[in-house]
Amino acid sequence: MLFVIVTGLATGALFAATALVYNVMFSTSKVLSVTTGHIPMLGGVFGAYAISGLGLPWWLGLVAAIAVGAAFGWLTDVVAIRRVLARSDEHLWLLSTLAVATMVQQAVGLWWGTEPKPFPRLIPQDFTAGAADQKFWLPVALAVVMAAGLHAFYSRTMYGKLFVAMSEDAFAARARGVSTDRIRVASYVLAGALGGLTGFAAGQLTFAYFALGLTLTLNGFIALAVGGLGSNVGALIGGFALGLLNAFASYFFGGEYQQTIAVGLLMVVLLIRPEGLLGSRNVRPV
Amino acid sequence: MKFRLTKLVSAVAVVASAAFAAPAAWAQNTIKVGWLSSLTGPLSSAAIAENQGVQLAVDEINAAGGINGRKIELLTRDTAGDPTKAVNFAQQLAFQEKVHFVIGPVNSGEGLGATPIIAKAGIPNLVIGALEELTDPIKYPRAFRVINTNRQWISTANDYALKKLKRTKVAVIGDTTGYGTASARTATTLLESAGIKPVYSVLIDPNKTDLTDEMQKARAAGADVIMPWSAATGLLGRLLNARGDMGWDVPVVGHPALMAAQIRKLLNKPEYWNNTIGSGYVSTSFGEDGKLPAQTQQLVDKVRAKLVPGGGEIDILFWWVAMGYDCVKIIEHAIRTAGGTDPAAIQKALENTRNFKGVYGTYTWGATQRDGFPDSGMVANVANTFKDGSFKVAR
Repeated sequence: MLFVIVTGLATGALFAATALVYNVMFSTSKVLSVTTGHIPMLGGVFGAYAISGLGLPWWLGLVAAIAVGAAFGWLTDVVAIRRVLARSDEHLWLLSTLAVATMVQQAVGLWWGTEPKPFPRLIPQDFTAGAADQKFWLPVALAVVMAAGLHAFYSRTMYGKLFVAMSEDAFAARARGVSTDRIRVASYVLAGALGGLTGFAAGQLTFAYFALGLTLTLNGFIALAVGGLGSNVGALIGGFALGLLNAFASYFFGGEYQQTIAVGLLMVVLLIRPEGLLGSRNVRPV
Repeated sequence: MKFRLTKLVSAVAVVASAAFAAPAAWAQNTIKVGWLSSLTGPLSSAAIAENQGVQLAVDEINAAGGINGRKIELLTRDTAGDPTKAVNFAQQLAFQEKVHFVIGPVNSGEGLGATPIIAKAGIPNLVIGALEELTDPIKYPRAFRVINTNRQWISTANDYALKKLKRTKVAVIGDTTGYGTASARTATTLLESAGIKPVYSVLIDPNKTDLTDEMQKARAAGADVIMPWSAATGLLGRLLNARGDMGWDVPVVGHPALMAAQIRKLLNKPEYWNNTIGSGYVSTSFGEDGKLPAQTQQLVDKVRAKLVPGGGEIDILFWWVAMGYDCVKIIEHAIRTAGGTDPAAIQKALENTRNFKGVYGTYTWGATQRDGFPDSGMVANVANTFKDGSFKVAR
């Protein structure tokens, strides 16, 4: 039973971290990028490649994962977001980010292989540690630190405040001289870096697997929608709730019901509270 | 003016059709074999290995002058493990290219979509997916299976667990994919017909990150053997890790994917691969004298340079290569027996095939029997004895 809770918290933390990454990108561009789930995939795969394949020390692997994530975030903006937002087609970014996501998944599949490959042990620890195994606690610690870090970033740093300004009213921010394009690119790079870090921390849980992207995109979105778009605490709550629900569902009912229950949760929450648990109703004064 | 134009046009048409007919007539002379292979995507490792076997056999036959003077033209189509692509390519091969044979698809999932299409075109099809529904003497009269059936995998494992190891409390573990669900169900049915009711039965999402819960439940239910029926290497790796981390020395007997080299890399410790048995083949097992059957060794030597550029040990399952090779050899046998590529004659030739000796197996089909791999070709293998593509027999 202990393992159910611990597994639920760990996978929930992974979903929560993905939801946080969604938030960072959403705040400046109002785009829910389908590539979000693929950033942790890249972090896991390149982290494993750097440490196991190239033999680098763990901290260089970490740097590699973050760098690749950041680069992919930047690439997403250049290829899928920049020109699309400049046009007036409302939701074309859905198609363009889906295209980038598909391309990156297939490319990684061709290079890395389609079977899950092992992610190296980061901290020396015996495998009989059971529920205290680092593969559970690394993602949880990361999700909490990320949420706290983002909060400090938004409230204490200049760039963070610019992000908040853009998310509240992009036109007003631009009118005040904020370079909204540059801020948006910066947010995508930051989101990519955070996503790469997430994938690295969760690597021992998920293995380095090319097909992680779509499940994380979907589950991260469910976590975000349940917790409320734009709210970081909401992302944490949504993520942990989804992870625990998945774990309990498969423990008591079997693996077949896992997906049904996850999406069922989303539908229930959206019916009762469409803006999510901690989201804000977008009311525009007229 | 009009009269002359019509004459000119018809003259051009005659010349043009003659020009097209000549190469077409020449092209008719080759034997076109369609090869639906998932060279990228899921199960690509199997397909790539099978492709090596297929290419080798085609090259060998063409170098010796072809079959009755006709060379084999191999039309390879990468389905990427996607049933939609498999169906599209099957249609293309059957109705546009008008191939004489189709080998594959590799994945059972793709096969479920593509086999009916090939059957509708009346083209002989060598089936290399294990799911039972892929052959049917009435629905698909020209589909002949080369690989063993899923049932044969399951029976081999059950026989080893129940008769050799004398276990009675079985835990059946499947995954939530179509293959896993169907296999777990078949495994349970076969166990029950042997008088054993599983003490624990579960279906697990193939991407579930930790299997400690399920293994603990199996132990609590008193299981004395774990039988997994999943082809998902991630899930099987985690299952063995959970068993090892728990310190539980229960035998794991099941799907041949347990013996795949990728599993070894996913294990926390190499000794977690001990006490793990998978269904395997006599043709790729080392005998008491430590040697492979002569035909298998011959093929290994022929193809080693292509499988491992630069020399070294083969690290994929060799039966894949042998099976691909045999598919082409079976086509050769069918054409020689039938005296041509007429589909009805091919069907008769294959139906009358008894004990055709290939490298992977010795095949027998019949008027109502479309599964050609013999039960006697199956054997239980020990997973951690993997060496150079083959295994030791589990005793």
